[in-house]
Amino acid sequence: MIAFCIRRALWMVLTVWAVFTVSFFLMRAVPGGPFDSERALEPEIERNLKRKYNLDAPLYQQYFQTLGQVVRGDLGHCMRIGDYPVATVIREGLPISAALGSVALSFALVLGLLAGVTSAVSRGSAADVGLRLVATVGIALPNFVIAGLCILVFVFQFGWFPAAGWGSPIQVVLPAFCLGAPYAAYVARITRTSMLDVLSQDFIRTAKAKGASPGRVTFIHALRGALLPVASFLGPAVAGILTGSLVVEQIFAVPGLGSYFVQAAILRDYTLAMGVVMLYTVLLYTMNWLVDMSYAALDPRVELN
Amino acid sequence: MARALFPWVVLAALLFSAVFSTLGGGLPPADFTFCNESEVKSLDPAIVTGSPENRMINALFEGLTRLHPQTLEPIPGVAERWDLSDDGVVYTFYLRDTARWSDGTLVTADDFRYSLRRFLGPRTAAEYAYQAWYIKNGRKYNRGGSGVEPGDPVEVELNLPPDAVNSLRGELLHGTFVRLENQTGEPLPDDERDSTDRVFVVEIDGQENRFVSKDDADAGATPHDGLRWCRQVLFDFRDVGVEAVDDRTLRITLESPTPFFLSLMGFYPLYPVNQTCVETHGSPAWTYPENLVGNGPFTMQLRRIRDRIRLAKSETYWNRDEVKLNVIDALAVDSITTAMNLYMTGNVDWITEAPPTALRELIHAEPPRDDINPSTWLSSYYYLLNTTKAPLDDLRVRQALHMAVNREEIATKILAAGEQPALSLVPPGIEGYVPQLALPQDPDEARRLLAEAGFPEGKGFPRIDILYNTHEAHQSIAELIRKQWQRELGISVRTRNEEWGTYLSSQRQARYDVCRKGWVGDYADPNTFLDMFVTGGEQNNTGWGDPRYDELIAAAARESDPDKRMAIFREAEQILMRDLPILPLYYYVSKNLVKPHVRGFYNNVQDFHPLWSIWVDDSGAPNEFMQGARGR
Repeated sequence: MIAFCIRRALWMVLTVWAVFTVSFFLMRAVPGGPFDSERALEPEIERNLKRKYNLDAPLYQQYFQTLGQVVRGDLGHCMRIGDYPVATVIREGLPISAALGSVALSFALVLGLLAGVTSAVSRGSAADVGLRLVATVGIALPNFVIAGLCILVFVFQFGWFPAAGWGSPIQVVLPAFCLGAPYAAYVARITRTSMLDVLSQDFIRTAKAKGASPGRVTFIHALRGALLPVASFLGPAVAGILTGSLVVEQIFAVPGLGSYFVQAAILRDYTLAMGVVMLYTVLLYTMNWLVDMSYAALDPRVELN
Repeated sequence: MARALFPWVVLAALLFSAVFSTLGGGLPPADFTFCNESEVKSLDPAIVTGSPENRMINALFEGLTRLHPQTLEPIPGVAERWDLSDDGVVYTFYLRDTARWSDGTLVTADDFRYSLRRFLGPRTAAEYAYQAWYIKNGRKYNRGGSGVEPGDPVEVELNLPPDAVNSLRGELLHGTFVRLENQTGEPLPDDERDSTDRVFVVEIDGQENRFVSKDDADAGATPHDGLRWCRQVLFDFRDVGVEAVDDRTLRITLESPTPFFLSLMGFYPLYPVNQTCVETHGSPAWTYPENLVGNGPFTMQLRRIRDRIRLAKSETYWNRDEVKLNVIDALAVDSITTAMNLYMTGNVDWITEAPPTALRELIHAEPPRDDINPSTWLSSYYYLLNTTKAPLDDLRVRQALHMAVNREEIATKILAAGEQPALSLVPPGIEGYVPQLALPQDPDEARRLLAEAGFPEGKGFPRIDILYNTHEAHQSIAELIRKQWQRELGISVRTRNEEWGTYLSSQRQARYDVCRKGWVGDYADPNTFLDMFVTGGEQNNTGWGDPRYDELIAAAARESDPDKRMAIFREAEQILMRDLPILPLYYYVSKNLVKPHVRGFYNNVQDFHPLWSIWVDDSGAPNEFMQGARGR
């Protein structure tokens, strides 16, 4: 277990370094720079700007300097978006994205698991077909369509929820629903498939034979085993959902992290783009790591190796 | 069972406390809320260029003059009055005794001197610095070490310790610039003049000193024999035309008469900043809500990144009795559809732009709406033609392309807000200036010209690209023009889109045939449009140039008689519209949606709406914004 964690930690350092290197050079290979604007800069002014952000040194020097800063925990200053350090932008945005994401995720899990288990237990029934249909629609419909429909119905027709913004609990409901809906659908489908798989196994028959109640068989014996594929889906899903979504955050004007992933790249905000990419890498890696560890907890046959 | 549930209950509680902690406990509603487009890049007046920043800085700071919210005439701001010398180059501003910073101290002439120096200082890297080049020697100072010539008075800024607050200036030595040389003492060859190793020889008190610019972090090392480190050597600011005569009197000397200078002093990059605040906190921390000291009608209560800036009426503002709003929320909303949703549900009182899809419907609604009134403003939408590439280097080809465009069709089919087709670069609406029009649409003449240029019915004409930055509206226009050219001229045209950064660099390196472009005037004067197209101008990426045109633009800068000046501009625009390095297409209109209870909000040619003039009136009286609208 400890050896496993140490090995994983070493790999994480390597992965983050590789991602840093690739994105550093990719960012700079794209035409344009952080100081492009419609009003062209006088050459002298541009030179000063570049000096200020250390963009006038040869590329390899910039690389080692930036790497050195990142190792010391300094992500630098945003070049285009906000006059804040990257760390502040992440500190303000991440909790909001994470809060929205956790609500969306809890909703996705509760709804997805319930629907999946119901489908599997009553396989072939009308409920099963209905739930599968809803799940397929949920996966097929992009976020912005769900969001558009929700706004039309719940904001303009019924007036139950505010159109956008962040600050009161009622403003969390619609974005969380729209963010969580596709995940709920995936979870439902995965749960159903793996439940069916587990329900046909020998140990379930044994459990039934020794007289365990149907509820106990389904939720304790079967569900635990069926959670394995769900857990491996959740790893990357959690990393994605916690760092926010461009579409949902834009539509509902939620001041999370999501839009930086796209905006920073479009505006050539080198430092911010590097910051969010590395944050995502670390989160994704950590989540996958946790998933691997959860396998051992969920299935006694798995050994961490 | 209860024991099994316990961890889940704890988890759920943790989750919800996490969510509630980020919600910030809900703010009391503001008196006036509007969508301020995207998150502001900074609140430092010297370094920003966008319109969301413009709105915020105009609320937090105030210049020597203000622009009247309706007419845009410069009216007294921090300066209560001013004199102009007979030759039109020396302005003397008299500051009012009641102008105060939000920390209670007086706004002095020295504050303006400090702010203008900071704005022009090369280390500030102000993108808008050229707006202060009208001040005598402003450009020289702004260009730093590259701007000094032998014999010039210079200031040498010495290094500070690397951990000093980044907005402090080093100790200054004053002297006379002698020459540039390299580190071994030989004269510098021309191609090394921009090298960072160059040595500035400066005579101080009769002694020659040799200075080399060094970053503060590296200035701890001992320099070679006979050299001294410094931050920079630049033109002496004491010889720049900004002088604090006394506490309340500021004298600004210009390079040449500049009729729009008073308007420029009401333009936000030239606003004063508080020296103590800037130098205590350093940049950019001085702009944070807890630190910022301004002199405008409002102060900043809080700023949440990508959420909102909350403004409160300033208790120290000299004209506070005229400011009617107490609390304003400026929301950062990226998506215009979301802004529209917020507006339609009554959460905001003003949005700066309605989505194009909704616009047509809103404008033609029956009965007419009481909250939309598009009006033209100082901005042009046009295509650049790359005159360095065949066949666009042939005037007849450019004329043919120009005459084959049906601008009416663009205006009626694509543009929803009543944008006017354009045949000139300078839009209408500048007092005293009549835009000079290019020849009107004429497909027959276009075909004849194209044949004369050697491409009868478009035969042998190479395929040309229309480049635009990725955006639905630009795409529809490019597609329509492509069809018009193919239909009228028989030539083959392709459209190509690039996202913003790439598009800008293609444009700058002239890797295009035809390229979409828009320009918004910085001030109400033809100069802001016409000076772009001087030979080799930064915005003139067409390769076109005309010596007579350059002469005219230079002559206009020297001319103090307004009528003669406008005549010069007219001649210049005639040249531009004759040679057609650009194809004007249409003039933009403003697309504000403003609730009927908002008063003191006027349509004007710069789409500029200072918050101090706005108030909320629920009496149902007609508001200023809707004056002259359809159905009234």
